[in-house]
Amino acid sequence: MRKNDLIFGIIFVVLGIFIFTQTFFYPSLDKGHPGPGLFPNLLAILFIIFGAILILKARKPSDAGEEEAPPPAHGKVANAFFVLGIIVVYVAVVDIVGFLLTSAVLLFVLMFKLGAPALRSAISSICITLFINIMFLKILRVPLPPGILGW
Amino acid sequence: MKSVLQGFALLFNFKVIVVIMLSSIYGLFVGAMPGLTATMAAALLIPFTFFMDPVPALVSVVTMSAMAIFAGDIPAALIRIPGTPSSAAYTQDSFELTKQGKAEMVLGVDVFFSCLGGLLGAVILMTSAPILAEFAMTFTTFEYFWLAAMGLSATVMVSAGSQIKGALSMFLGLFLSTVGVDITLGFPRFTFGSVELLNGVNFIPAMIGLFGVSEVIRSVMGGELAYPITRVRTGHIFRGMWGLLRKYQVNFWRSGMIGTFIGILPGAGADIAAWVAYAASKRFSKEPEKYGKGSIEAIIDSGTANNSCLAGDWVPALVFGIPGDSITAIVIGVLFMKGLRPGPMIFEQQPEILYAVYMAFILANLLMIPFGWLAIKCSSQMLRVPRNILMPGILMFCIVGSFAINNTVFDVGIMLLMGIAGYFLEDNGFPVAPVVLGLVLGPLVEKNFMMSVIKADWNLAQFFTRTGSAVLCILTIIIWFFPLYMALLQKVKKSGKSSK
Repeated sequence: MRKNDLIFGIIFVVLGIFIFTQTFFYPSLDKGHPGPGLFPNLLAILFIIFGAILILKARKPSDAGEEEAPPPAHGKVANAFFVLGIIVVYVAVVDIVGFLLTSAVLLFVLMFKLGAPALRSAISSICITLFINIMFLKILRVPLPPGILGW
Repeated sequence: MKSVLQGFALLFNFKVIVVIMLSSIYGLFVGAMPGLTATMAAALLIPFTFFMDPVPALVSVVTMSAMAIFAGDIPAALIRIPGTPSSAAYTQDSFELTKQGKAEMVLGVDVFFSCLGGLLGAVILMTSAPILAEFAMTFTTFEYFWLAAMGLSATVMVSAGSQIKGALSMFLGLFLSTVGVDITLGFPRFTFGSVELLNGVNFIPAMIGLFGVSEVIRSVMGGELAYPITRVRTGHIFRGMWGLLRKYQVNFWRSGMIGTFIGILPGAGADIAAWVAYAASKRFSKEPEKYGKGSIEAIIDSGTANNSCLAGDWVPALVFGIPGDSITAIVIGVLFMKGLRPGPMIFEQQPEILYAVYMAFILANLLMIPFGWLAIKCSSQMLRVPRNILMPGILMFCIVGSFAINNTVFDVGIMLLMGIAGYFLEDNGFPVAPVVLGLVLGPLVEKNFMMSVIKADWNLAQFFTRTGSAVLCILTIIIWFFPLYMALLQKVKKSGKSSK
């Protein structure tokens, strides 16, 4: 936790500096008053100050009385990457293959990978896809990508 | 009176009734499942409500949140895991009482006092909002600036855990709100040439990513598959409730007030209300030794407070357009997107929106009795839904919801990035709710500040000399000193104890 605080502190300080580099060229209002740059610059200053505080706190040993929540389980990192991968694949494929097929198949794949039995995954993914389809297309009348198969 | 009847008429059409039913079921389910919060439920509900008319949309959110905050009590009692953070304060007490064989009473208290607390909050909302709205009519950009600043300060000061991290989360939200075309010159900020970013980071996919996707990521990385619960008798959960109300009347009124007031305070939500009510309850109780070991008093107090808080959250939201908690922040964000500006104007121009909210609160809390009873009956089935089916389903709702708003996959990309960011932030102790509050309040703060200074020709004194501004400014500063005050209180208590 300590090391991560240090990293985050550095990230925020860097973010603050980055904001300054971007706002340097922002135009001002008349009479030289700050315009679009005011708010971001203020935030940049705050990021740098608070990031620095975080860095300083991370380097001190634990204060008495400061409670740290236990870090959550990190068991199956592969699952997390799989989820992210599914999202990327979905985005890449949905315009081509269409909403119904993409959703049903990717749902099934994810459920199965996470350990659900094949039959239950298949039925659930079809039901969920149909439910979303009915809700969005029929009831709310929101367009979803049709894909080459037309559905 | 006529408008009240108009309000009722709004609610009793078929479409709205269906919406109420579905939202109740949805809220009860999400509330009862540990790991799914009411805020996440609101985030996932938005893609649906976005395409509805304002009245059913608001009714949907109100109903869902009321049911969810109540339903979080169920797993707290049955498996010692709170369904939503607002039930965390009294999970221990609930479970201990269940172990003593009193689950029926606990669950009955949960339903009964959640309902009453919600109704009390609703009454306070309905009476105080119009009064405050009169007041708010006198507000100008100066006062709104301070209000938004107060909301931001409260968010940081009352956030659980490290305030530094809460502040940084909020700054992140504020920063994201600056992306896009700026308010004064129309100059593109932080868009890096992207056309999609000219309109800013789309609020809805960002929020879905932060609350929904990050939770999915966290869930698939570990944790229980499903929750084994032992069957518990739930035949007569309402027996003895009136007796308890009579016995703990003072508690009920006190906690209802505490809850609603914390709701009215911008940025503080139901979980804070529950904790504060718990602390107050223990402090004033005749049986403080029972707290933590099974105090029904604690459950009555906190259960009342977290539901009354919900109505209180809508007071600043409706009157000023400043969110009372993250759920109302989400609602306001969406209302802005649809061109509806909550504020004193809706009291005159669109009162049907108000009545929709008021009536929804009343109806939802009344429905809580039968629906809550049903939910308790079905709780063991609900808790058996395996996560490897549930989480992919939620992910799919996230993806489709994010896509549907603007019909662009760019938004799904935003959802993805915010999901990853949200996961890492929460994993390292950075609360995620302040990001949303920053995202919603950022434009308010900046716009009101810029308009004020341009009007006053950069005469900054006006921020402090106008009466309304001065009062709000002082309140904001008081909020900044709140943690110091708390720390001092602790020290005084400790030295007081050791000298006895």
